[in-house]
This record gives sequence, C-alpha cells and structure tokens, in this order.
Amino acid sequence: MDTTARREQWLREVAAAADAAALAALETRLLGPKGEVQELVRSVTSLPKEERPAFGKAANGVKLDVEAALQQRREQFAQQALAAELAAGDFDPTEPGPRPARGTLHPITLVQNELVDLFTSMGFQWEDGPEVESEYFNFDALNIPGDHPARESQDTFWLEPHPGLGRNLLRTHTSPVQVRTMQRLTRHGFHPPLKVIVPGRCFRSETVDKTHEHTFYQMEGLVVDRDVSTANLIHTMKTCLRVILERDVQVRLRPGFFPFVEPGFELDVNCPFCGGKGCPVCKQSGWIEILPCGMVHPHVLREGGIDPEVHTGFAFGMGLQRVVMLRYGIDDIRQFMGGDLRFLRQFPEVTR
Amino acid sequence: MKLSLRWLQRHVDLQGLEPQRILADLTMSTAEIEGLERFGEGLECLVVGHVRKCDRHPDADKLSVCQVDLGEAGGVLQIVCGAPNVAAGQRVVVIKPGDVLPAKGAKGPLKIKVGRIRGVESHGMICSEAELGLSDAADGILVLPADTPIGARFVDVLHVQDWVFEIDNKSINHRPDLWGHYGFARELAAIYGRELQPAVVPVAFPVEGRRVEVVIDDREACPRYCGLCIDGVVAGPSPHELRWQLAAVGQRAVSLPVDLTNYVMLDLGQPMHAFDARHVGQGPVRIRRARAGESITTLDGQRRALSADDLLVCAGTKPEALAGVMGGAGTMVAADTTSLFLESANFRAAVVRRTSMRLGLRTDASARFEKAQDPANAELAVHHFVGLLQKYCPTARPAGPLVDPAGCRYEPRRILLRRARLAQKLGLELEDPRVIAILESLEFGVTVVDAGFEVAVPSFRATKDIAIEDDLVEEVGRMFRYDNIPERPLRGVVEPPPRNEELFLQRRLVEVACTDLGCHEVYNYSFVPDAVVAACGAADHAYVRVANPTAPEQARIRRHVLPSLLASAQPNLRLAAEVRLCERGKGYHAEMADEHRLPHEVHELAFVWSRRDGAHPFGELREAIASLLLRLGYPAELQRVWHGKDQPWVHPQRAVAVDRDGSPVGYVAHLHPGVARAMALPASTAIACLDVRALLANGRRIARYAPVPTFPPLPVDVALLVDERAQVAPVAEFLRTVGRKLVRAVELFEVYRGERLPAGKKSLNFTVTLGAEDRTLTDEDEAKYLGKVREQAAAIGAELRG
Repeated sequence: MDTTARREQWLREVAAAADAAALAALETRLLGPKGEVQELVRSVTSLPKEERPAFGKAANGVKLDVEAALQQRREQFAQQALAAELAAGDFDPTEPGPRPARGTLHPITLVQNELVDLFTSMGFQWEDGPEVESEYFNFDALNIPGDHPARESQDTFWLEPHPGLGRNLLRTHTSPVQVRTMQRLTRHGFHPPLKVIVPGRCFRSETVDKTHEHTFYQMEGLVVDRDVSTANLIHTMKTCLRVILERDVQVRLRPGFFPFVEPGFELDVNCPFCGGKGCPVCKQSGWIEILPCGMVHPHVLREGGIDPEVHTGFAFGMGLQRVVMLRYGIDDIRQFMGGDLRFLRQFPEVTR
Repeated sequence: MKLSLRWLQRHVDLQGLEPQRILADLTMSTAEIEGLERFGEGLECLVVGHVRKCDRHPDADKLSVCQVDLGEAGGVLQIVCGAPNVAAGQRVVVIKPGDVLPAKGAKGPLKIKVGRIRGVESHGMICSEAELGLSDAADGILVLPADTPIGARFVDVLHVQDWVFEIDNKSINHRPDLWGHYGFARELAAIYGRELQPAVVPVAFPVEGRRVEVVIDDREACPRYCGLCIDGVVAGPSPHELRWQLAAVGQRAVSLPVDLTNYVMLDLGQPMHAFDARHVGQGPVRIRRARAGESITTLDGQRRALSADDLLVCAGTKPEALAGVMGGAGTMVAADTTSLFLESANFRAAVVRRTSMRLGLRTDASARFEKAQDPANAELAVHHFVGLLQKYCPTARPAGPLVDPAGCRYEPRRILLRRARLAQKLGLELEDPRVIAILESLEFGVTVVDAGFEVAVPSFRATKDIAIEDDLVEEVGRMFRYDNIPERPLRGVVEPPPRNEELFLQRRLVEVACTDLGCHEVYNYSFVPDAVVAACGAADHAYVRVANPTAPEQARIRRHVLPSLLASAQPNLRLAAEVRLCERGKGYHAEMADEHRLPHEVHELAFVWSRRDGAHPFGELREAIASLLLRLGYPAELQRVWHGKDQPWVHPQRAVAVDRDGSPVGYVAHLHPGVARAMALPASTAIACLDVRALLANGRRIARYAPVPTFPPLPVDVALLVDERAQVAPVAEFLRTVGRKLVRAVELFEVYRGERLPAGKKSLNFTVTLGAEDRTLTDEDEAKYLGKVREQAAAIGAELRG
C-alpha cells in the first residue's frame, strides 16, 4: 500500500474539515477503533516478515502526522470559537437573574443594633426588662411617689387588677431597668462599676397620629462607679453622639427635670440641618434636643442597694424612633408599627 | 406659661439685654423657653388722631363722618366711622390708607384703602382694641387720654409692644416659685448679677372693722387661709395698661377685681379668689372636706358630685368653692359688686391634684397649687392685690383686719453642702466665693463651715424643690452653667462586659432569619384586638388588660406573638403572592405571677410564611427553622408531632415540635384551617414559634471536627414502596442500619405517588451515600447493599422497587 499517498490524502481531508464537528467525525473515521489509520497500522501483520519493519515505521509515521494535523486543526477551530465568543454582541447587562430571598430587618432594629454595638464596645452590658411593669419599679423606685405630678405627665396605661398580680402598668420608660439591674447584681454581692444599656419598648397613652405613638422605643443608659461626675457624662455622651450621628457634634447641657436624677439635664446637639444658624427643624434655636440625662438621684441608688455616698452615677435616655426618623428621613411615625412591607422593604441593609 | 419682658422689667432692670440673649440664658440656667413672640407686632404704623368734627352720615343713621386731625403725621383726614362711641374732641388711634393692620386670630392682615361708604369718601379707619389685637373689646373705638400728643405714633405714647417668652411648663413642674413673673425675675437677677426689687410694698390693714371669721377644719389640707373684706370697689373694666399687660400673656380681661387676682397670680404664682361679699355674708368661712353625697356647681356651670377627698371653701355651711380648683357658680364679682371677700390661701398639692384629676378639671389655680406653693406667698399676695386695687380704684379700702388664723412660721431648712460632694457630682472644684455668690444670688443663706457650706433654704424653694444636698449641687451647677464644666473621660478597668446571652441570641436569630431565610421583620403592638383573638380561637384565655385603653382594640395585652403576626400577613398578601414574616416580641400570661406579682412573660420569635397559591410552605419553613438553629449553634430535631394545647391556631395534626435534647422549644406547623378561614389567609400558610429562653436552656453546641474521608463516596439510589401512612424517618433509619458502617448519608429526594403504584402506596426515593474508610467501594458493594435492603425491607413493611 502506498503509505505516502494515503498520508497526503488524509492530511488533505484534515485540512478540509469544515468545522469542529466535521473534524471530530473525521477523527473517529481515521483513528477510532476501526479507523482507517489504525487499519493501516494493523495491516503490517499481513506483510512478509522482512517488509514489516520498514512498513511499520512508515505507517506509524503517518499515524503521528495525522494526529498532529488533527490536533493542530482542532486548536485552530478552538481559537476561532474563542474569537467568535469574545466578539459576541448579545450580552444584556440588564437581564435579571433569579433572585435570592431578600429579607429585611426593621429600621428600629438596625439602629438599635448599631447602638448596642457601640455601647458594648465601650464596656456597657446590654440588658432588658419587662414591658408589663410594677408601679414600684416604674415610679416609686425612681423617686416618683404616688402624688407626684410627673406620674400624670407620663400618661400611663394602667392594667386591670387580676388575682395574684400586683398594681401593674405598661412601662412608661426604660428607666425601671436601672433599679432592676442594680438590685439583681447587688443581691449577689456585686459592687460597681456598672455600665448598662437597655433598649426597649415603652408605652404612653396617646392618640396616634403622624408624630405621636403610644408605643415607642427608648434606650436607657446607666453608669455607676466611684466619683462618676457630670464631667464624665458630658464626655461619654459627646463620644457616643459623634458615632451615632457620624459627625463632629457640638453639644450643650442645660437644666432639665426628671425625678430620678439630680441634677437633671437636657442635652442638645447643634442642628444638622442648618448647622446651628436656625431653621424650622430646630425651631430657629440652632439646637436639637436629643438626650435627657442626669446624675442618678441618691434615692434611686439606695433602692438599687448602692450607697450613694460612695458611688455616684449618670443615666441617659434616648428616643430611638427619633434617631431612626432623622437618619432615614421618615416623616410618619405610624409606619414603624404598621407592618406594611412596602415600608419595611425600604431598609435592605444589615447592621453597620 | 407666658412671660412678658415688660412685666419682668418691673422687678429687675434688664436694660441692654436682647430678648434673644435672655431666652438663651434662661434656657441654659433655669427652664426651657419654647418660643419668643412680639406682642403688638405691626402696630408701628398707627398714629394718634384728634376728632375735630363728627357729623351724622347723610345716608346712614349708624355711621358718622369724622374730620380727624393727624397733625404732622398726615393733616386732616375724612373718615367714616361706625362706632357708637365716637365723638368730637376725642383722641383716637388711626390707620391711614396704604397701611396694613396686622393679622389676628383667624383673620389675615388688612390693607387699608381709600373707600366710599354710602357715597362718602373715607380715608382710613379709627380702630377698636379688638382691631388692634389688644383685647376682645369690639363694641367701640379705643379712646385715648385727652393729653395724648396728636400725630404721635401709637406705640410710642402707649406702652403696648412687648416681648413674650413661652415657657415649657414641663420644665418648671418642680419649681413652684417659677409659676409667676417674680420667680423668673429672681432667676434673671441671679444670672445677670442685677438687683431684684421687692415683690410687694406692704399695705397697712385696719386693726378694727368688718371681718369674716375663717375656720380651718383640716390644717393638713389647708396650711394657711388669709381672708380680707374690701369695700368701695368699682367693678368696672380695668385700665388699658392692665388689660394689655394681661393680653400680652394670654389672659382675658374681665373686670378690675378679677383682673387683679389674675395679675397677682401671674406675678407671684399665688392663686386668689375674689368673692362678692354678699355670697360670703357673715361667714364664717369654713375650709372642710366634702361629705359623701355633697355636690357643687362650679363657675363653668357644671354640677359636680364630690367625694370625701375633696376640699371645700364654705360660707357658713354652704359650699362656695372647690378649694384651689374653681369657685362656685355665682360667687364671682358682678357689675354691681361693691364689697369683696378676698381669699388668698395655701392648699396642699396632693389634695388639689387629686380633686383636679378626678374631676378632669385643670385650672390656672390647680396647676399652681399642685406644684406646692409657698404659704408665705398667701399673705404677700393680699398686700399686692390691695396696693394695686387702690392704685386703679382709689375708693377701695380694706374694711377690716386681715384674717389669718393659721399664720405662717417658716424656720428655714438647713442643708449641709459639702465641697467634696459638689466636686464629686460636678467633676469640678469651685472656689468658695463663687459658690457663695451663686447661692446668695438665689436668696439662699450661706454659712461657711469646715466641710463646706451650711445653706438656709428660703421658704419659696422649701415646699418641695430643695430637700437634699444634691438639690443644692444643681443650684450651683446650673448657675455656674453646666457648659462651663470641662469634659472628662470615664476611668476604670477595661474588661469585656457581662454578656446577656438571651439578648444576643435573639438578635442573631432575627438577623439570620432576615438575611438567610428572606424574612421581613415586623413590629406589632403589644395590644391584640378582640377580633384577632376571636379569629384565632383564643378569646377565652386569661389576658392582662389595660384599665384605661385609648381605643377598644388596645385593651388586651397579647399572650403570644403569632396572632398579631397572622393579622399583619393578610393585608400584605393583597399586594404580594407570598410573604415571609417574622417578629420578635413578648407575651404575657395573666394566670401566672412572678416574684414581683407581675404576669409571666414569654419571649418569642414567631414566623408566618404564606402563599396565595402553590405548594404548602410548611416543609420549607421547617427546613428553614432547622438551618436557622443550626446556624446559631442550637441544632434541634423537628420530627415529633406536636399538639399545641393553648395555641389553638396550630393545626391539630400537622405540627412538629422543635425539640432540643428531647424537650420542646417551639413548633413549626400548618396554620389551623379554621383560623386561616377566619382570618382570610390562604390554606397554604405555615407558622412557627421559638421560645428564646427555652432554646437557651440546653446550651449552645459547638461543631465537632470529623476527618475528611480519604476514599470516594458511592451514591446509590434506593426506591422503597411503602404504605401511604408510613413515615419517612423510620425508613431512612432502616436504610442506615442495614448498611452498617458503610452508610455515610441517607437523603430523601422524592416522594412519588402515581398511577403506576398500587393503591394506597407511595414510593420513597432516597440517595444513600456509601463509603469506606480503607478502600474505594465497587459495584459489588452496591449490589451487596441493595441485596440486604431487598431481603430485610419486609420487616418494616416496605418493598424495594426496580
């Protein structure tokens, strides 16, 4: 058999293969188990013994050449295909893919978590207390006795008497957790320092409208140690507000009255909307009231089992809804408790 | 409360101080000022005119045509005026054409134009007090004194314009002394180091004469009662200056005696009542508690049933006033009153407060008494009243001595203010002279002692405000100004704070539920409406209830979170085909009490997954809950059928407990179909609830490492034909035990039900992953495993298919 002629013939066919599929078919025809090239190589057995070495060598050479040619041609087609793919103009960047289920945290949760992270990083412990509270913890322990006008101004939801239950109410602030926490710790022999934050739900009997809610969120803070002073309060609050409001804040501390602190303060920050020049948001004053606070009243420390001569402390309370509304520009407080997904879906972040 | 700058100036010289500065300084040292307004704003254009001629209008009986001379301010103008009291020779207030009368109340500003009134030209307007916004007197023009200069600006010759501060009442709740101008004047004198004028010039009362005896039955409720008879009173209108002064602070003028009681109250904070002496008669005036069944008709015409807690002022036996709250109907001064019985008393704060709260009757008097007024003020107020009355009504005179059976003996309370305490609480050491100056400026008496200062509290600060040392720290701090205290960081040992595991677990559960599982976190009220508990079949359970709800649907406190969450699913399903909601919250069980006699509290995390059409989401929710718990290190079993006893919204058959080490910490379930119907929710609604405290009880499990297999796995598909009622778990367990150590995993990938199967049967199709630790498994191992399954399947009532 004329190996040279066959070789030429096959190499021509390889060169002529129109595409990758034709090339693959050709490869099977030539090199498959019963392929023509294989037949050629195997045909050595039918030759006389003396011709076999020369023919065998030639046939193997042909096989190697064909394989090499196929490989080269395959590579050519692969290159062409790659070039074609890279040149394709059918990509639609706007076509959506399947979407993972995307849930959302409540905006108050987002802000609360952020505050918890901030305060715990400063060594505060995160505590909680019941929303159904006793008259004692909500009022008496906080130096608000029975006939104190402050009771009235808090618009309390009182609870109906029930066998086995005391005179209870829906807590009007998170402050009852001050005495609860101090009592729980001191009963087990604990001594200050104590640094606590208590975010939570509170209630005041109000008619709900765009700016009023009977259910609201507060965050209480309490620090008790030896010689904790107003100077410490100013520094701590300034540090926190700088982080919360993400800017360098100016604060001012002025008298404010709350029965469970003495002295009591209102802490204002310079208005973020006008920078202190005066605008409708700050009622032209340049300041926004953000944080009622004060030095813990000795009565409260004593109720908590702490000697007010040895230890002093400061406390603060922050309205969370107000911070959330300022941050996201929400103008209707009813949305928070409305359960409307069209509102809730607008806050896809996780805690910073 | 409103404060007039002009009024304050009578007590302390505030020259050179801008109102804005006063506002800022009061805010920083004393109380919150909510606003600052100009009283009499826009009245600058008004001029004084002289009515030269006043003729009847040719075409209208009630109109007059006046020639009004404005002198240099505009010559003579012809003005048509409708006032009945206009007359030639009067000095009047005129607004010229082109000028604008400021807005008042609901009325907008009024631009004056030249007009024709019934054919006669009118060049401007002669104004009434009402038109100027100074009072509601609209029945005639304002007539000025005859010597008022013609052509002068009205605001220059009559002191009407003023600055008015609006005080936030909440910020002076604890300061009885700040419920009048004098108290604020005292603060300003202290702030600016200026001299405070005495509040009152004492009046001499006759030693003899007419007197009405005063009998105080309950000295506890009424520590002091001063009574004085006054004759020769003319109960006409008050002069301009008094009326306008009251108008500036929002007090309506009535008649001279009444206006003066209001003036004294707004000046000293001491409420008074001027009775027409005829009502009091011979007396005696008796202050006693009301008797059960008694009632009184108050000034506002309301008949009020009384309780034994209420305090009455009686003439003889007849109740004439609800002490400290409101006078009785008809006791007030009338136009023909000539004699007064003046009451200036001190009533106990708690008594007044209770009555005022119970009757829902808040008055200027009750607001002041319930702050605990100073008994010393009761007598001062009488002197103040009489002095002013004689100034405006020279015929008036006290008819007899001041009757004051209780008197007032105030021995100043002494409090030690230690230097160390001051420094401890403020975080700043102050020089002695500074401290002394501050305290003395506020009328405290100061004696320096070793430890610091012995401070004598004046009576007007002693009723409730200044009781302990720390109260004095506040006085020094606020006058020094808190802003002047340099800030200082907290010091102490730095240690990680104790960790409340429950709160952190709750937080992570919600975060993972929302970010991994696609839930939306919802907040619902703690109140649950009756309609919702009824639909959930839980109306009969024991609820904690609000005694004073603002709305009927806000009376019940929820026991569990789920019913509220179901209620928020429904409206959202109108806008979306599928919702996944979660809520973290507390529930209260009235029938169980804790150590503080509070109802038992549960902390729950609830889920509602609901879709309008398509497969029931129960399976998805169960897998989601399982992976949520796994994610947080609290792996649980969710296979045991659970019967939610007190949670009737749970399907009685299709519910599994979330078990940790055999004890339930929650459930995943189909919503009860009856509840679904009642709440208009789709049948394909799955619910779940986790009890966060229970979850925590069995501790967190930390993952354990197992060596990664060296030899490859061999997956084998196994289809078992079983009875329709057969459960998956025992079958899977069978597949695991049959293969002994070679089985690495058994996973169900399909439950097949179809025509090709015998009736009442289903096919459970598993992938069993085989593997060995020491070799690569072969086809032979697979055949051997399937052989064993075929042989032993009958034992569990199953049959190997194919």
